[in-house]
Amino acid sequence: MSTCAELRDRLPALVDGALDPAAAGHAAEHLAACPACAAEAARLRALLERVAGLPVPGPPPDFWREFEGSVRRRVAAGPAPGPSIWGRLAGRLAGRAGPRPIPTLVAASVLGLVLAIGLLRSDRATGPRPGPEVLISSQELGIGQDLDLLEQLDLLEDVEVLERLDLLRSLDAVRPQMG
Amino acid sequence: MVQRVLAGDSEAFGVLVRQYQQEIYRLAYRMTRNPEDAKDLAQEAFVQAYRALHSFRGLSRFSTWLYRIAMNLCLNHLKATAREDPGEVDGGLADSRADSLGVLLTEERDRAVAEAIRTLPPRQKATLILRVQEGLGHREIGEVLECSEGTAKANYFHAVRALQRKLHMFREDAPGHEHVR
Repeated sequence: MSTCAELRDRLPALVDGALDPAAAGHAAEHLAACPACAAEAARLRALLERVAGLPVPGPPPDFWREFEGSVRRRVAAGPAPGPSIWGRLAGRLAGRAGPRPIPTLVAASVLGLVLAIGLLRSDRATGPRPGPEVLISSQELGIGQDLDLLEQLDLLEDVEVLERLDLLRSLDAVRPQMG
Repeated sequence: MVQRVLAGDSEAFGVLVRQYQQEIYRLAYRMTRNPEDAKDLAQEAFVQAYRALHSFRGLSRFSTWLYRIAMNLCLNHLKATAREDPGEVDGGLADSRADSLGVLLTEERDRAVAEAIRTLPPRQKATLILRVQEGLGHREIGEVLECSEGTAKANYFHAVRALQRKLHMFREDAPGHEHVR
């Protein structure tokens, strides 16, 4: 049987129906034997029902007629729908969209030219190997990527670290130049 | 309908707006709890959807695609207004006809829950609203928020736990209980 702490940790998943059958069985065993956790589960269900039932006040009578009119005015004030210039260019290069597809040979030539320029530039950029401070910075970049993951999980906002994330990244970018 | 809009049928666009306007407004209201902001964000969602309609490939439902546009606008709005947020929940829950203790208590509890949701981190708030109030599955929430199903689930469970913590003070029997070991 799981402990109360384990059960409480899994309670949101249990109430959501997201536990696998084995874990759900263990949780059910615990709830049958622990009135306090059973009460906690009931409270959580009640809370989520209250969240689901929070009212959204109805807008005034003419709201929806005005809404559509306003959308139409905003649409009319902007560009017509369609791919951007880059989207059209990519479509033409791929020969899949646009009224006059570029022949495959021409598209391949353009691609080859772009690759050749890229190779030339990378040759020119070859210089001394990075010093230790740059390597350390790369390791810190790994931490930065972890922070990206945490940011997506929305965990760090609780401790207001994310507001400093951009600053940390900019410091990371500056450090090698300072060394 | 999407093809008709792309072919220049403006009436077809009107049909799309009328079909989804209430859902999108409701979503924006739940994210902002401000009627004016919700109206503006919902309208902008339709404008952006119209301009990006050519990119809709039909890989997800149209409503999911539209939710994604609206939710991105809401999250950007919350980020932009975070520092000027007065921390006030609008009067949408208030009822001037409330004349019984029961109604007042219900409103008070609703207000507390709404306030707790308002103070959640934006993406946790988004998953909670999409899951509990809009009834979306975790996979679809992942599509709306452009993250994996696992990340959507994790965010949702964090949101629920955070809500439990924030509303702890409202429990009648909050202090201690016997634990099963």
